[in-house]
Amino acid sequence: MSAPAVAAPRHAGAVATALHLAPLFARRRDSDRLATLLPVASFMVVTALLELVAGGAQAFFRWDDDLAATYQTLAVIALVLLLVPLGTVGASAARLAARRRDERLASLRLLGATTGTVTALTVLEAAATALVGALAGTVLYGATAPLLGLLHFRGEALGGQVWLPWGWLPLVVLGVTLLAAVSALAGLRAVVVTPLGVRTRQRAGTAHWVRALVAAGVLAVGLLAVQSLSLFGQMGGVVAIVGVLAGVFGAVLLAVDAIGPWVLRLRARRRARTARTVPRLLAARMTLEDPKAAWRQVSGVAMTSFVGVFGAVGLAMASYTDTADMPADERWLMHDISTGVLVTVAGSFLMVACSVGINQAATTLDRAAVHVSLDRLGVPRTVMAEATRRAVMSALWLVSGGSALCAVVLLLPLVGMAIFMQPVAVVTAAAVFAVGFGLVRGAAALSTRLVPGILARPERVL
Amino acid sequence: MTSLLSARGLTMHYPGSTSPALDSVDLDIVPGTSVAVMGASGSGKTTLLHCLAGILRPTTGSVMLQAGSGPVDVAAMDDAARARLRREELGFVFQQGLLLGELTALENVAVARMLAGVPRAQAEAEAQQWLAHLGLTGLEQRRLGELSGGQAQRVAIARAQVTGARLIFADEPTGALDSATSVEVLDLLLAAVATGRTLVVVTHDADVARRCGRTVVLRDGHVVSDTAAPAATAATGTETAR
Ligand SMILES: Nc1ncnc2c1ncn2[C@@H]1O[C@H](COP(=O)(O)OP(=O)(O)OP(=O)(O)O)[C@@H](O)[C@H]1O
Ligand SMILES: [Mg+2]
Repeated sequence: MSAPAVAAPRHAGAVATALHLAPLFARRRDSDRLATLLPVASFMVVTALLELVAGGAQAFFRWDDDLAATYQTLAVIALVLLLVPLGTVGASAARLAARRRDERLASLRLLGATTGTVTALTVLEAAATALVGALAGTVLYGATAPLLGLLHFRGEALGGQVWLPWGWLPLVVLGVTLLAAVSALAGLRAVVVTPLGVRTRQRAGTAHWVRALVAAGVLAVGLLAVQSLSLFGQMGGVVAIVGVLAGVFGAVLLAVDAIGPWVLRLRARRRARTARTVPRLLAARMTLEDPKAAWRQVSGVAMTSFVGVFGAVGLAMASYTDTADMPADERWLMHDISTGVLVTVAGSFLMVACSVGINQAATTLDRAAVHVSLDRLGVPRTVMAEATRRAVMSALWLVSGGSALCAVVLLLPLVGMAIFMQPVAVVTAAAVFAVGFGLVRGAAALSTRLVPGILARPERVL
Repeated sequence: MTSLLSARGLTMHYPGSTSPALDSVDLDIVPGTSVAVMGASGSGKTTLLHCLAGILRPTTGSVMLQAGSGPVDVAAMDDAARARLRREELGFVFQQGLLLGELTALENVAVARMLAGVPRAQAEAEAQQWLAHLGLTGLEQRRLGELSGGQAQRVAIARAQVTGARLIFADEPTGALDSATSVEVLDLLLAAVATGRTLVVVTHDADVARRCGRTVVLRDGHVVSDTAAPAATAATGTETAR
């Protein structure tokens, strides 16, 4: 099979060779069904989520009354908030698809396949995987969109409004496929450069304490800005207030994101020193290995927590104001914003759960040899499972706790009032968070289901 | 002397393969000795080692082990019991990959004791002693990826002994090492034998086998020869390269 691969340095030739080799490549993968199915499943989830989010958001653009613009603005905000964690899911899916491919490509390369052939094969494979996943995802969207349609706004179910115009669906499928191909191309360089395909472990990012200072500064400035909102209001009206809030919002989120990995690393280092059990020690060490990746995996929740706190407080304030003399549609708006906040928070937890599930599956497959080794040494299977779960959950607590804390600091006086005036709203928000945490935890645990399969066929990984 | 390990009629049929990887193998291993298992690639060495160590359950046959709690048939135990046995009573040194890359050298060894319920401080103290004993003083805090192949094998040897395991299984422990380092690693394994432990080592290396007390040769899943090596080179473990 190496024979045709050696020649053909020209691009067209490379593509031809790749097409020639593709069936061989595809057949070899049959034995590796799980590793093939997982990326397809993740692209499926990504596509379905994307279509659901887009479908939900565009539903509001079918309205054209007085308050339509307000709803549409809010829908766009929610859309942006959801696109961020969705991007993480997409990146995880792409990474998973690329992972297992590395070794096989490296061996192809050793057999003498040209860079062009390897590149073409990779891109083809990624695109094919994504295409199948995206098509399946569209079916999944078809099955789940009616659930989204159950959401009530202005007292009416969204119903059929959540269906994307049919013409969009092929565009989404195409877009997902293209993105997967491009990210495969981008991720390929390392393999092509080192034919041996040895993934050199990246040194853990060295987040610096200076960042903590900067972040504290940002938070202080933000606090000041929020306290003087009325001043901005006098100067520039509502637009200025919204602008300042959005700016503070973004800056604080960036700051949280900048110091998160650093704090995570500090904490993991302390935990590694003091851990009393093997799973705790391992969890801390796994986090230390790459704090940035550990953070990135769950960082989508930062924005969620922020929005959750802002939303809960805002709603508490709003519902305190006397709504009796408000026009009916404005009362609906208040009510609908609370629905929207909850849906957004729930949606981003769902996405973080997906990205954690995909990442953990990839990591488990990646570390198959470690699982086999530990099993041979007689280490109970629960040890590794507990360690992974702990590593994910401790990062999640830090992300959501940290950003919720920042939001609370920004809104300090208001939060106190909200808890007194609207305990129900606060409890609802807390409940949504609890469910979200449970979801992520479940996703982290899911990957341990792969372990028995790995242990049953140890010769594949060693 | 009674055998530490006694295999009878060991047969291993991997699902989907036509001929057995092991075919009615009988083997007795006396405590305090070193046994080399040799044979061509695919002759069943690793399969035999895994059956003896309770990693694989043979299709038929028995493996009686004089465990701390009395004699047990490893081949008849369930997965959990075999895992426990491996964890608590057996030591392993394989070609590579039995250690955790994220952990330091010290932690890798200490973990074996922590899993047995020993408090971390004590586990690390014991691990520290073993590392020092194996010449790794000063490298305790290195992560595994920062050690050379030979150093990593020493850590594995420390891990295999820290639990007090009396029986150590090694599958090509020197397979990935240069010849000088191989000699050092084998010295350490044979030093363990000199303190009363028992070693079963699978190897392709005739030099390694020559230094063991006994050599078992496999071909197509059968034992085709079983010979004692000259005692002088076998027992002391102090001989250096050729
Ligand atoms: N998991 C498995 N499934 C099916 N067949 C297997 C499996 N593992 C080993 N075999 C087969 O059993 C036979 C013995 O394999 P084993 O790994 O024990 O050989 P070995 O002597 O250790 O070889 P090497 O020196 O190459 O390590 C071989 O024919 C091998 O192909
Ligand atoms: Mg072998």
